[in-house]
Amino acid sequence: MLRVRYVRFWLPLLLVAGTLLIAPLFRSSQPPLQSHTLALLLCGTTALAAYLFAVIAQPEKF
Amino acid sequence: MTSSTRVMFPRMPRGPRQDRRYLERPRQQGLVQQAVTEAFRKLDPRLAIANPVMFVVWCGTVLCLALTLDPRLLDAQAGARERGFNALISLTLLATLLFANFAEALAEGRGKAQADALRRTQARTQARRQMADGSIELVDSSALRKGDVVLVQGGDVIPADGEVIAGVASVDESAITGESAPVLKEAGSDVAGSVTGGTRILSDQLTLRISADPGKGFIDRMIALVEGAERSKTPNEIALTVLLAVLTQVFLIAVATLPPVADVLGQAPSVVTLVALLVALIPTTIGGLLSAIGIAGMDRVAQFNVIATSGRAVEACGDINTLVLDKTGTITLGNRLAEEFMPVGGHTTAELAEVALAASCFDQTPEGRSIVRLAEKLGAALPFTPEQATGIEFSARTRMSGSDTPDGIEFRKGAVDAIKGFVRSRGGTVPDELDACFEQVSRLGGTPLAVCRGHEVFGVIYLKDIIKPGIRERFDQLRRMGIRTVMLTGDNPITAGVIAREAGVDDFIAEATPEDKIAVIQQEQKLGKLVAMTGDGSNDAPALAQANVGVAMNSGTQAAKEAANMVDLDSDPTKLIDIVTIGKQLLITRGALTTFSIANDIAKYFAILPALFAGVGLEALNVMRLASPQSAILSAMVFNALIIPALVPLALKGVKFRPMSADQLLRRNLLIYGAGGVVAPFIGIKVIDLAIGALRLI
Repeated sequence: MLRVRYVRFWLPLLLVAGTLLIAPLFRSSQPPLQSHTLALLLCGTTALAAYLFAVIAQPEKF
Repeated sequence: MTSSTRVMFPRMPRGPRQDRRYLERPRQQGLVQQAVTEAFRKLDPRLAIANPVMFVVWCGTVLCLALTLDPRLLDAQAGARERGFNALISLTLLATLLFANFAEALAEGRGKAQADALRRTQARTQARRQMADGSIELVDSSALRKGDVVLVQGGDVIPADGEVIAGVASVDESAITGESAPVLKEAGSDVAGSVTGGTRILSDQLTLRISADPGKGFIDRMIALVEGAERSKTPNEIALTVLLAVLTQVFLIAVATLPPVADVLGQAPSVVTLVALLVALIPTTIGGLLSAIGIAGMDRVAQFNVIATSGRAVEACGDINTLVLDKTGTITLGNRLAEEFMPVGGHTTAELAEVALAASCFDQTPEGRSIVRLAEKLGAALPFTPEQATGIEFSARTRMSGSDTPDGIEFRKGAVDAIKGFVRSRGGTVPDELDACFEQVSRLGGTPLAVCRGHEVFGVIYLKDIIKPGIRERFDQLRRMGIRTVMLTGDNPITAGVIAREAGVDDFIAEATPEDKIAVIQQEQKLGKLVAMTGDGSNDAPALAQANVGVAMNSGTQAAKEAANMVDLDSDPTKLIDIVTIGKQLLITRGALTTFSIANDIAKYFAILPALFAGVGLEALNVMRLASPQSAILSAMVFNALIIPALVPLALKGVKFRPMSADQLLRRNLLIYGAGGVVAPFIGIKVIDLAIGALRLI
């Protein structure tokens, strides 16, 4: 159960869920592969921004 | 340890400092090979995540590699041309990561090599442990615990750190200090009462009380520190990490919002171009070199035979405002020598010499021995049998020492005020000439020691103080750096004033007691200043703990070493000045490279932005006349990668330190690293662009 606390467990799940959720928004202008990649890129960028916020908030932990 | 008659640091290091380095310089070739391997290992995302700037580069690299493998992932129209460009950008980004990892690995490798050199001194050995019933049992040194009592004798390796509780012996400490001359260790001595595990007893026998559990000894702590195992970020590093993370965040958001803006302008920048822009804008140079600079700072301190308990301590040295220095051993040579006897009260020189000899026969300090030598040279003989007399030790409170004979005669020598008080307390009177002699010696910068027998003053001994060569220039340098020096001495105010003027210290405290040290430090700290001091005795421990930077001498007591945040293996108090210089150098290096890294961005804007918005009239910004948008982006990326290894030697060696005020330093560094950081990329990117064109890479 300890595993569920780790970011490395939740992060891929969140990225996949986010991608599946956002991808339909790009479906009108992009083919399926590109729309999913773009959605994943957006989710990844958001995760990266969240990581940077975490560094700013608790720099001693990094 | 602020006495006027005791020598603080009896064992001064010999020979040039560079010859006394105990930590072997590891072979550069082996280090580089290890660092290259380590640079690839550090590509592991679990390790990369510790550095926010470089982790963003890592993510960008992964994205670009994915788009190299399949350029159609984000653009259905992309083809082989895009794949080639993506591959070049990916390789450049990968090189950026590897160069940054290499810098850190190289700095860490030097620390690890030093740790290995120290580890070799940690041979396991057998120890003779004394049991509660007095019996002796042989145990492995790893079985010893704090509080155990062990016996060591000539030829034995001392099994663990400990305090001498009985015996006198000479110990070879060359394993940790590099100093081949043996050191005398004895019970009850403040500065010679502690021993370090791994050193070797040469003769006689000592009984030790173990002061550290296995794995927590002095050498263990040194290994952990130089190896970086306990390295935590210093306050400055944390502040800089936050600044770099904020800059990275701002640029990430700015770049992420560019596509909609470009879309409005009818442009469609590729994701790889956007990644290149992001990496060019974030401060990768300082991001890649930050930890290497910190590790190298610790390494430089270790090269001076000083072990710091943390990077924080080294960094604090750079911010020091006030240095509190003991006169003896730091400003003057440790050994003051008796120069002349000056009789008073109608006594002859021969009579004074005899009383001085009687008062000094138990005094084993160099001063005491020099008084004995001078008295014997004048033909004086002891008026009693030493075995029947009792030695009176010097103390900071009484400020005198001497001997008592069985028939009640008290021979004393010490500070003039102390002797006056002693004579008056015994019903005697003080001759007027005593003050004249006192002033005469004081004006010469010497230390006057009054001598009495019971209630009768016999005269003054002139102890000559010798100011260390070059110390005045060092203090001038410190003044130019804005550091105030305060000299503490047990001497009277006139002598202290003369020495202070000759040495060029800013302030002095005469007739200082151990409590005065803490008072001075607290007073300075209340004014918002950071204070550094050295010490070696147990009575220095509170002041060492109170000071922002406390440097304990390796020859000092365990209490002093534990209270301090640095230990000088050479026991050379003058080294405090060098340590401050290293701390300043660490901060200056970090500041200079941060300035350079941020100033670098300007040229990259001029390279990448015109390339990104080539079709909307931003071509005018292409001041470098770069061949094509793709060549411009690649040139900026290659420059971004190459500047990291180019700056590795500077990060490891440190920016050359010049003693000057903070304002002057700031102006100088802004000129060199600010202006240089603006100009260098313009030249570098243009040259790389020409090379890319010549090689027909794009």
